[in-house]
Amino acid sequence: MKRLWVLIFNLILLTVPSALVWAAAEKAELLEKKVDVTKLSGLNYFFASWYNDNMWLYAIIVTVLMGVIGLIIALVTDIILKMIGMEVHKIEHHE
Amino acid sequence: MFDIFNVYLPIAEMQFNALILVAIGFSVGVLGGFFGVGGAWVVTPALNIFGFPMAYAIGTDLAHIFGKSIVATAKHRKMGNVDMKLGLMSIVGSVIGVEIGAQNVMWLTRLGIAGPVVRYLYMFLLFGLGIYMLYDYITKDKRAAAQAAKVAAAARAGMAVPVRKSWNLPPMIHFPASGITISFWTVSAVFLFTGWLSGLLGVGGGFIRMPALIYLIGCPTAIAVGTDLFSVLFSGAYGCFTYGIKGRVEIIAAVLMLVGAAIGAQVGVTAVKYIRGYGIRLLFAIMIILAGSSVALKQFNMTTTAAWVVMCAALGMCVVIMIKLWNGFQKEKAEKAAMAMKGGA
Repeated sequence: MKRLWVLIFNLILLTVPSALVWAAAEKAELLEKKVDVTKLSGLNYFFASWYNDNMWLYAIIVTVLMGVIGLIIALVTDIILKMIGMEVHKIEHHE
Repeated sequence: MFDIFNVYLPIAEMQFNALILVAIGFSVGVLGGFFGVGGAWVVTPALNIFGFPMAYAIGTDLAHIFGKSIVATAKHRKMGNVDMKLGLMSIVGSVIGVEIGAQNVMWLTRLGIAGPVVRYLYMFLLFGLGIYMLYDYITKDKRAAAQAAKVAAAARAGMAVPVRKSWNLPPMIHFPASGITISFWTVSAVFLFTGWLSGLLGVGGGFIRMPALIYLIGCPTAIAVGTDLFSVLFSGAYGCFTYGIKGRVEIIAAVLMLVGAAIGAQVGVTAVKYIRGYGIRLLFAIMIILAGSSVALKQFNMTTTAAWVVMCAALGMCVVIMIKLWNGFQKEKAEKAAMAMKGGA
């Protein structure tokens, strides 16, 4: 009987969030803008061109680039910190 | 003099000082790595002060937060500070909560009271959390003494120490990394609540989730910091992508901020190793009270002063964290040298 009550209570609780969510969040609006690429060169030209031509691809480039740069810097600084003796290991959690 | 550091930002179509971007990134990186927060509440006003176009501020900030969170989470994981299971649950709960909160904001907007309700709630939360954490810090020794006395009294009477009452509705989940067993419903309700608050306030929610993990779920402070950063990583990735699609990310500025933030995050995370849980809580409490003061100033239309307050608070806190890191490092080095001497003798 107790198990049945637990099951019923669980089912009721599961419906709470889905019943509350009935609309999407307020989102930032699309920025309708074209960048002038005539005076740009190199990386700036590359990024601005993708920004003008395909915003989806631009978003993918930005996201991947952030992840890759984050990983590279993490690796490099880790090596530097290890060299100066500031390496980290598993720590004990003291409050 | 600093004009030589000016770079051209192709998407915003303007010159901007690279040093400022790297410095803002660095300070928010230190805070993020140490407290486990994204730090948008520092970056946006700081960019505003230096004249960065606001159309790109939030998107650029979220992009760099994503990269920075990878650095900080990886390092926290190495230190055993990330509870993946808890982090994944927090993502699910937070997404639903944020949607509910955003819906509530739209309802409040229709009533015409969204602005003041959100601002006052924000202030109440920052001051309330900050003051509670300060109180918790001040009374920790008294509480520990009371608990020890209770244990001693129970031992004298030959009885077991009474267990603290908690809500144990099945299914119960064990989180080995945090060392806690807790009802699925408690965890879900906490993340739903923190997600709802961040959706309502329009903030990332790191500063709400971190104390919630400590006080409502029962995580050790360092694990709360690492696990919160793990959640920030996902919200940052989503934010970076969705703002990118809308053309609101200035990529060169984001890369420059990320360079500073990634280095800062390494500093912040390493500092966690040298400071005990209550020390982190104390500094966090001071930081959010100062952030609350900044929101209060904004309420009185003192926007520039408010931005300076939050930026100076962030810089000051960075200095404190770096000093603590340096002192801890020197102490550890001295201890290692003493051990080696003993071993040699």
